[in-house]
Amino acid sequence: MTANVLIEELGPRGQRRVRIGTIVALLAGALALIWMYVQLSNNGQLEGARWTDLFDSGTLRFLGEGLLATIQAAIVAGIIAIVVGFALALMNLSNSRIASALAVGWVELFRALPLLLMIFGVFFIDTSLARGRGGDAVLGVFWSVVVALVLYNSAVLSEIFRAGVRSLDRGQTEAAQSVGMTYWQTMFIVVLPQAVRRMVPAIVAQMATLTKDVSLGFVIGYEEFVRRGAGTPNFGDTEVTNFQAYVSVGLVYFILVWAMAKLADWMESRQRRTPQVAAATEEIESELALGDSLAAGP
Amino acid sequence: MSWSEFLDKYQGPLIDAAWTTLRLAFVSFGIALVVGIIVVSFRVSPIPPLVRVATWFVAFFRNTPLLVVFFLALFGLGDLGLVYDFFPTAAVALGLYTGAYMAEVLRSGINAVPQGQAEAGRSIGLGFIQLMRLIVIPQAVRTVIGPIGNLFVANFKNTAVASTISVLELTGQSQRMFNDAAAGVWRVLIVITAIYLLFLFPAGYVFRWLDARFSIKR
Repeated sequence: MTANVLIEELGPRGQRRVRIGTIVALLAGALALIWMYVQLSNNGQLEGARWTDLFDSGTLRFLGEGLLATIQAAIVAGIIAIVVGFALALMNLSNSRIASALAVGWVELFRALPLLLMIFGVFFIDTSLARGRGGDAVLGVFWSVVVALVLYNSAVLSEIFRAGVRSLDRGQTEAAQSVGMTYWQTMFIVVLPQAVRRMVPAIVAQMATLTKDVSLGFVIGYEEFVRRGAGTPNFGDTEVTNFQAYVSVGLVYFILVWAMAKLADWMESRQRRTPQVAAATEEIESELALGDSLAAGP
Repeated sequence: MSWSEFLDKYQGPLIDAAWTTLRLAFVSFGIALVVGIIVVSFRVSPIPPLVRVATWFVAFFRNTPLLVVFFLALFGLGDLGLVYDFFPTAAVALGLYTGAYMAEVLRSGINAVPQGQAEAGRSIGLGFIQLMRLIVIPQAVRTVIGPIGNLFVANFKNTAVASTISVLELTGQSQRMFNDAAAGVWRVLIVITAIYLLFLFPAGYVFRWLDARFSIKR
């Protein structure tokens, strides 16, 4: 079924056109696949050993450690970014001008810069301070990646939190205040428990983006999944070349991130069953628009 | 190293790098627009294989790290016998990546046009092309200006990843300067940040203005 505004139910002529279109598209697709097959096999990229060597136990462990390193950085950076983003959102919503100006400055600055530049920045500041002291670097590659991810994602998450709080009906705040709650009581007892539930899908989606972005740790030598993939052709006695390495790394990464994105979609569709929450979700989404969650990947 | 020595040494490379970033941002965004339009027209077409191809295209690029997309473009296209320079490879890879997001933005714009509008158009006898030209596209475009602006900014930031495949743009240049201890880490960081903000704040401002001026708020 084609559920969009453009096409009504098709008559016999339209159905014939769709059939012809389907056949043409399938033929074109088949030709493209054949062409790719021929090119790849001419270049020797489909030879069995180049693929089966990926499953040598040593190679698998080498890649698996990289995958674990990626997941580890994603979890640590994700948790810290959620805490910091939450604090930024509270600062932003607070009545203190200084606190909210600081939060706005943080969010505007770190959302505007390429994450890759921030990773370089944190890493090179760390190493140059260490050089100045004549000692070891304080952060090292793992924490440099984590700090840069936290700077960027806390800014994005704080906007998600803020939109979530703002999506709540004003009557909630007013009711809380009318029974004599203070600002913080209103926030923590009435507003946040409701708002946080609405934000969960957006937070999960942002965690998927964060997981993709861990790959940028590659540039400062963090031994994450993509870097291990890049190292595979030179790892031990293997026939694997760059092509097989990146195809398999890409495939595993795709499945991981896709599963997280699906989880976010599923949570959101469950929430949409409640009409009020559905309206709020729409509001959060329209406020955040799409681009914000596009680090090295919307 | 004083500021004047710094500028003597790095003014030329910085201008070149900024120019490369700008070119890459605009070329890839142009590719993304074309790719997005093609993919979304597949996506909303009544032909099942085209819908499937468009869906997988979008899913692939949205759920794969940009770094992997760049490496696949570099090595994969090479193995397919399509060998290009680094800059065109980067522009195409980034264009396809942003194009997938563009297709989603455009689709949400089309879906935001109320069904009744298309029905009304058909009821006064408009054909498909007329319906699109006169009713759907003018409304769809107005709802996606804001999201397209966000995409432009995201795409601009993502040009940084091209430094990983030897395109010497601003972030790649920053890496070279970071490695020159005399240049000073903080100075390099401040200069590069300033150049990015110089481009991105006005871009954000222009898109917000366009959005406020032309968009339909539902």
